[in-house]
Amino acid sequence: MKVHYKINGEEKEFDIQPGELLLDVLRRNNYTEIKGNCYLGTCGACAVLINEVAKATCTTLAAQVNNAEIITIKGIGTISEPHLLQKAFVEKGAVQCGFCTPGTIISAYALLKNNPDPTEEDIKRSIDGNLCRCTGYVQQIEAIKFAIKLLKGGK
Amino acid sequence: MNGFEYIGKNIGKIDAMALATGQPLFTDDISFPNTLHIKILYSPHAHAIIEDIDTSEAEKIPRVKLILTYKNTPQVLHTTAGQGWPEPSPYDTCMFNKKVRYVGDRVAAVAAETEEIAYEALKHIKVNYKKLPAVFDPEEAMKEGAPVIHDEEGISGVYNPKRNIVSHIEVKAGDIEKGFEESDVVVEDTFEMQYAQHCPIEPHATITYLDEYGRLVIRTSTQVPFHVRRIVAQVLEIPVQNIRVIKPRIGGGFGVKQEIILEEISAFVTLKTHRPARLVYTREEEFVSSRTRHPMKVTVKIGAKKNGIFNAIKMYALSNNGAYGTHGLTVTSNTGSKTLPLYNKAPNIEFIADVAYTNLPVAGAYRGYGATQGYAALEQVVDEIAEKLGMGPAEIRKINHIKVGETSPIFKALGEGREGVTQYIQSEATDKLLELGTKEIGWYEKIRKPAKEATKVRGIGMALLMQGSGIPLIDMGAATIKLNEDGSFNVLYGGTDIGTGLDTVVAQIVSETLGVKPEQIIVYAADTDVTPFDKGAYASSGTFISGGAVYNAALKVREQILEVTKEIFGEFNTKDFILKDGFVISEKSGKKVSLSEIAYQTLYLKKQQQIMATSSFVSDSSPPPFAAHFIEIEVDKETGIITPIKYVAAVDCGVAINPELAKGQIIGSIVNGIGYALTEEYKFSQTGKLINSNFMEYRIPSSRDIPDIKTILVETYEPKGPYGAKSVAEININGPIPAIGNALYNALGIRIHKLPYTPEKVLEALKNKGA
Amino acid sequence: MLKLKEVGQCFYPNTIEEAAKLLKESGEDTRIVGGGLHLTAFPNPAIKTLIFLNNLKLNYIKEIDGKISIGATTTISELANSAEMNGYLKGNVKKLLQSIASELLRNQITMGGSVAQREPYSDIVTMLLTLRADIVIHDGEKEIKTPISDFYKSNFRATLKKSVIKEVLLEKFDSTYKFGMKRFTRNATDIPLLNFGILAQVNEDTIKNVSIVVGARPGPAERFAQAEEFLKNKTLSKELAEEFGKFVEENVDVAGDIRVGKEYRAHIAGIFAKRILNEFMEE
Repeated sequence: MKVHYKINGEEKEFDIQPGELLLDVLRRNNYTEIKGNCYLGTCGACAVLINEVAKATCTTLAAQVNNAEIITIKGIGTISEPHLLQKAFVEKGAVQCGFCTPGTIISAYALLKNNPDPTEEDIKRSIDGNLCRCTGYVQQIEAIKFAIKLLKGGK
Repeated sequence: MNGFEYIGKNIGKIDAMALATGQPLFTDDISFPNTLHIKILYSPHAHAIIEDIDTSEAEKIPRVKLILTYKNTPQVLHTTAGQGWPEPSPYDTCMFNKKVRYVGDRVAAVAAETEEIAYEALKHIKVNYKKLPAVFDPEEAMKEGAPVIHDEEGISGVYNPKRNIVSHIEVKAGDIEKGFEESDVVVEDTFEMQYAQHCPIEPHATITYLDEYGRLVIRTSTQVPFHVRRIVAQVLEIPVQNIRVIKPRIGGGFGVKQEIILEEISAFVTLKTHRPARLVYTREEEFVSSRTRHPMKVTVKIGAKKNGIFNAIKMYALSNNGAYGTHGLTVTSNTGSKTLPLYNKAPNIEFIADVAYTNLPVAGAYRGYGATQGYAALEQVVDEIAEKLGMGPAEIRKINHIKVGETSPIFKALGEGREGVTQYIQSEATDKLLELGTKEIGWYEKIRKPAKEATKVRGIGMALLMQGSGIPLIDMGAATIKLNEDGSFNVLYGGTDIGTGLDTVVAQIVSETLGVKPEQIIVYAADTDVTPFDKGAYASSGTFISGGAVYNAALKVREQILEVTKEIFGEFNTKDFILKDGFVISEKSGKKVSLSEIAYQTLYLKKQQQIMATSSFVSDSSPPPFAAHFIEIEVDKETGIITPIKYVAAVDCGVAINPELAKGQIIGSIVNGIGYALTEEYKFSQTGKLINSNFMEYRIPSSRDIPDIKTILVETYEPKGPYGAKSVAEININGPIPAIGNALYNALGIRIHKLPYTPEKVLEALKNKGA
Repeated sequence: MLKLKEVGQCFYPNTIEEAAKLLKESGEDTRIVGGGLHLTAFPNPAIKTLIFLNNLKLNYIKEIDGKISIGATTTISELANSAEMNGYLKGNVKKLLQSIASELLRNQITMGGSVAQREPYSDIVTMLLTLRADIVIHDGEKEIKTPISDFYKSNFRATLKKSVIKEVLLEKFDSTYKFGMKRFTRNATDIPLLNFGILAQVNEDTIKNVSIVVGARPGPAERFAQAEEFLKNKTLSKELAEEFGKFVEENVDVAGDIRVGKEYRAHIAGIFAKRILNEFMEE
């Protein structure tokens, strides 16, 4: 069957099998910025925004989100024009191996969209589905706080 | 502060923005047309002979291209351990074995046009197994009459295969029994550490293809690209020159990617089919069929004089290597060699260890590399003897730890698979670590016994740690640096940044040495066709060994630049020249020439040459970093739940080239260690099948599980290291088990001897204490 | 990796009537997809047809006739962040919802899906049973409202082969009602290894209208009738809490599994029971 998405602002149409997972469909179509392969929604490396909500693509059927608006890490900022969250992650040592980073930033981005003034608990909760084995999360949390500061300063 | 321009500065990780914006940097982010997908068939039995495999039905499935079993693959006994040659691990495995030795041992592989077809084909491979009795307990395995796991012809490097003993280690100094007799206080205790997995979020992944000239290219998520090349050549019986290994960005390793477990299969498929092949582990495979930490039972006995000085230390470690012997000898050697020298005051030392085969998943290298298990026991027994002596935990450590200028007989006696190297400590600030750490955690205010009425009680605990920096006289790294027209430099080195930030550290070392900004350093690492050799990412060797090689190469390039500058300036004492901000400046005459100009001159006009140098580094010592860890926990007496409240790590890693990255290494290790201490464990069925092989049932910490973590870097200067640096990557994973164990004792007067510290075990211990 | 290989058809009905009709017509191997987590995490390869509820606009939270009506496709996050939950039962439901699983899963797990799957380790099922929610299903012709405990006593899995869950109704309990639920997990984002909920009306310290539910026993959540009986008309006190904890530990119907032993489950149920009552006194 055919599905239609708006991905990072571009209209896209893909041929899929109805039982396919969104993760597999997107990676096959070169959205390799989406990582992960736990297929249980437990590691969060495959998170994207689906209609503005951070979700694991490994437990989302491609067919279910037909016509959705999808934003991947590349839709948040690019290497030439990074988002403040991405800058903050770089500056605060929040990127080690970087495999979890796209998913984690997606989750943090969703948090800041809904709650520009989160508490530390809110921040921890927002990324609790994005497992990271390298950083121990501290610098990620610091980076998110730093980004909030930068975002406020920008206004 | 330290007079350096780029050393000790928090330069953003040079690859971080590319990673944070999702560039295709990892092994599996690039796909080649016509790729074959490989899936592996695993043994359902813990111990069995494969009497026959019939792949004919599977081969008939359309779009199945190739099926591999022991019948059609080279039978070369080797080790999967990606160690330096000759590997200290036994040659006890083939690509596919005729005998399966654990549930999850590989039996066959299918290469097909899609993953789905490969999976489908696996179901149609018929295997006749002759089941054999299995043994899961290392003590049982070593007994007379236990099933013999490795009875095949031709294996080598195994201490006693008939008794399932991979290695036996015995190291003695002084007279241990006399040492205990002459001690005033003697304490002995035993702790058992469990199976656990590294859990890199990127699983193992390999892509192989033939290049335009028919040479084999292996793009793989490895910590050891050069060892991959050597071992794949060995296993497939092809020349090293036919293989190119490329290390892209690696999504975490922690030791598990120091193994050659996918590359040879994928390479073989490519060589047979002349097509690209892809083999990516699932999370379940990562748990079952990659590598784990060595489960260990460690007994420590310490004898001390009344004044608290240790007189005798004895350690016995029984290590479970699972079905194959990879890293068996060396991990378990480290259990003693990275722990016992810390308390070098004891003249009488004995370290004995056995490493056993069992029919369980295969243990391998894991951050901490045996020291984790050693410290789990040692640092709790140190607390126990301190209590008996009526001394404080910090006080007893202060009077017993190794100091600058001192050595330990263990350094020489216990190496990595061979005799070690005598070394004297040249940098250390342990008293300061203890002082600052106790202050930050509020040790002396909190050490008072907590109120017993409350259901929730607090406790504090500490642990003192050391590790090493590379393996002396074994680990070697090399680097090439060359100058470009704009004054930028290419750094080509074999060092393997697996997420640690090594490439950035290396850029800072070159920047400092050559007086250019880190943005002008183009680091390209670990491509066996392009970069010089490096042992890879293990043994906490990155900054020290690989960084040392880069430093040496930078010094040589510097000399060449100065040599050329002499002529340009018409001055002949290079001591007058400094390199700064991309210029060579004569401090004598004030003359100035840019590196860019030097490059243009030497590339095109005068004294024509490529300014470049290659250099290597090998060390005759392995300078230990030191750390003092402190934790405050809250224990719920009614539920047994332990909540870490605050963690303090005071760390001496020499000069931290990049403090922010060093901090990341420290915290990442601590959180991994907390997971190991509290929740992470393998659970097996009666028949030896791993039954919690996913993140739903194997619980690693999330952002909501971490305490407040404070890191304190105490700078020392290590003369052997580049710009005074030592290692920082592994040491800090060793702290959480003993620190939490000691805090549990402080809180409730209980010790749990079998890890992890689950609420169930806390309650059981409380009950036993009451009884 | 494709696990739902046999899926050949996807339907996107626009009304719940249509959804129920499709379900009835398309047979055994058809599944209604709520959040889709169970379907994808534990795929049944036999499934051939999927019916998505996307177009039904069932993600709502509204007050109707003094009840809070929560649409079937409302996620845990949506419910947790809703204005309706802010003061509801003193914010205790909101706090509970925020602690379940992880953000990505809270964003996916739906009320309807939780009710339909009745996973043994579902916190939502325990919560809804404790809150004595009503389940509204639609059989293609009419809506049928059933108290959730009756729903589970019936052959609900058979019912759901022909009907679609529309919404969950929660009573707007007045301030005399107290709710507490506790979960034992290995770490923060874990599934519960035991959960325990109490809802009770406390009038001048006398306990009435009590519902008590134990879940992840590891069997699915059930009302704990003996315990409800035990508390009925008792006076809330420290002593009662203590006694009640012991009673629960001795009488709770739990078993051991690979995650945790039977004895510990019983013990922690007792502790939770005691602590919830103690917290009722502090409120």
